[in-house]
Order: sequence, then C-alpha cells, then structure tokens
Amino acid sequence: MAESHPPNRPAIHDSDTELIQAINSGREDLFPELVRRYEQRLYTFGRRMCGNPADAEDLVQETFLNVLRYLKDFRYETKFKNWLYRVAASTCLKQRRKSKFAPERQESLETLEPEAAAVAADSVPKWVQMPLEKLLNEELAQTLQHAIHSLPEAYRLVVVLRDMEGFSTEEAARILTISDANVKVRLHRARLFLREKLKGYFDHGL
Amino acid sequence: MACDASSHPHCLELFEKLSEYIDDELAPAERREIEAHVAGCVACLACLQTLRRTVALCRTGADHPVPEEFSRRLRSALAAPPRGPA
Ligand SMILES: [Zn+2]
Repeated sequence: MAESHPPNRPAIHDSDTELIQAINSGREDLFPELVRRYEQRLYTFGRRMCGNPADAEDLVQETFLNVLRYLKDFRYETKFKNWLYRVAASTCLKQRRKSKFAPERQESLETLEPEAAAVAADSVPKWVQMPLEKLLNEELAQTLQHAIHSLPEAYRLVVVLRDMEGFSTEEAARILTISDANVKVRLHRARLFLREKLKGYFDHGL
Repeated sequence: MACDASSHPHCLELFEKLSEYIDDELAPAERREIEAHVAGCVACLACLQTLRRTVALCRTGADHPVPEEFSRRLRSALAAPPRGPA
C-alpha cells in the first residue's frame, strides 16, 4: 500500500485538531467555538498571573487575538492547549511591562534562596497535620494568591503552570521555552517562597 | 536539629531535591536516600511536609468565573480584530 501521509498530516491529534484544521482551511466562523472551549481556562490563568481582573481580561483578549493571527503557523507538534498556553505566556510577559497595575517592586531573588528557606524546625507544624479541607477558606486563598502575585514573573509562570494549571515539567518547559532543569529549579524556589508566606500566615492564625 | 546549610550540608543537599521528590521525578536510589534521611531528621521531615502541603494548597485553587460582560466584549473584539501590521 502506498504511503498515504499527506504532508500536513497532524503529528498530534487531539480533541481540538479537527476544529483547528477547519478554521485554518477557511472556516473562520468557527473561531468562537475555540473561544468557548478555552476562555474559562485562560481567564483563570490570567487571574492567577495578573494582580487584577482588568489585566487578566487584557491577557485573555490579547492571547486570542494572537491565536487568530498565528493559528496558521500551528504545526500540530504539541497539543493545541499547550501551544495556546505558550502564546498566553509570551503575551503575559510582554503585557506585564505595560500594565499600570504591575507592582513596582517584586521580591528579590535572594529571599528565594534555599539557604534562606532551610530553617530549623523541631517538629512538623500543625497546619501540615490538619486535614486539608479544614484549612481551606477565603482568607487562605487570598493569602496564597497574594504570595503568588509577589513572586517574580519567571517564577510565577512556572508555579502557576505546574502546580495550578497541572502541566508536567516537560510541558511547562516547552510552553516557556526553557530547559526541564530550569523549570525544576524555578519551581522549587517558588514553592519555598510560597511555603514561607504560608508559614507566616499559619503561625499567626493557628 | 537544624536543617541548616553550614552545620548540615547533607540536609541542604537533600533539601534541594525535595520538590523533585514530591513530584516523583527522582531515581529510586535518591528517593530511598531521602526517605531514610527524613525518618531520622525531624527538621528535614518538617521541610518536606510543609513543602508538600504548600503544593497541595496550590492545587486546590478553583476557577475564576469569566465575567459575562467581558465575555461579550471579547467576542465582539475578536469578530472585528484590529488590523495590525501584516
Ligand atoms: Zn536533615
């Protein structure tokens, strides 16, 4: 049997492939379906990355506009979702510099050094032993959100992608175009930073 | 016992790998080394458990609902995208 791979045969086929092929072959009227599939995820990502809702909205809109511009270049080498996050992450990095809401000062990297975080403890603290559901409340969510927003952006992106959006190390590395090792280093630093903030919160609250 | 770089270099060395341990990204020998160490070092056990809990708390984050008003604006912006440089 003859080799029947057309040159544009998708390397990766997922639930979005047919929709994207249709849009790219002229059915631009189907673009709203792509928006419907991803606006919630992207908006949540935006709220996690940006300090305020207006910036999150800008991020979602700019990301979809970039998708509209560059969808033709999508080569099916990754899942569409991962490509979309790559567009969103780079849009986010560009946009931050323009935002009137962007904080003037972010935490310095020294506070993320493991040496500074590796402090003595003579017992496992209470907030670690309590059932997770007992800890969860609005105040904790806000403390965590605030801590995430005070991370330098390169670290925030990694921890949001890995621990909140659920991407693997390899996926996060491709989305951010950095090495796996770099993802791991940044993730560890970011988690240590968040842990310090949570520790401060629980030391006063429990 | 302090989980301290200067007095306990081994603790710090393991401390650097705790995220990979939590993510199950270590080789079996490294895993076992950490498990053996935290069994006898309460400072490192506390480091591991607090870090693990931090990750668990991050994972509980819920979606932020899209404001309806924004959703409408988004659709009309995309229906008539601004003409940028080609
Ligand atoms: Zn130790």
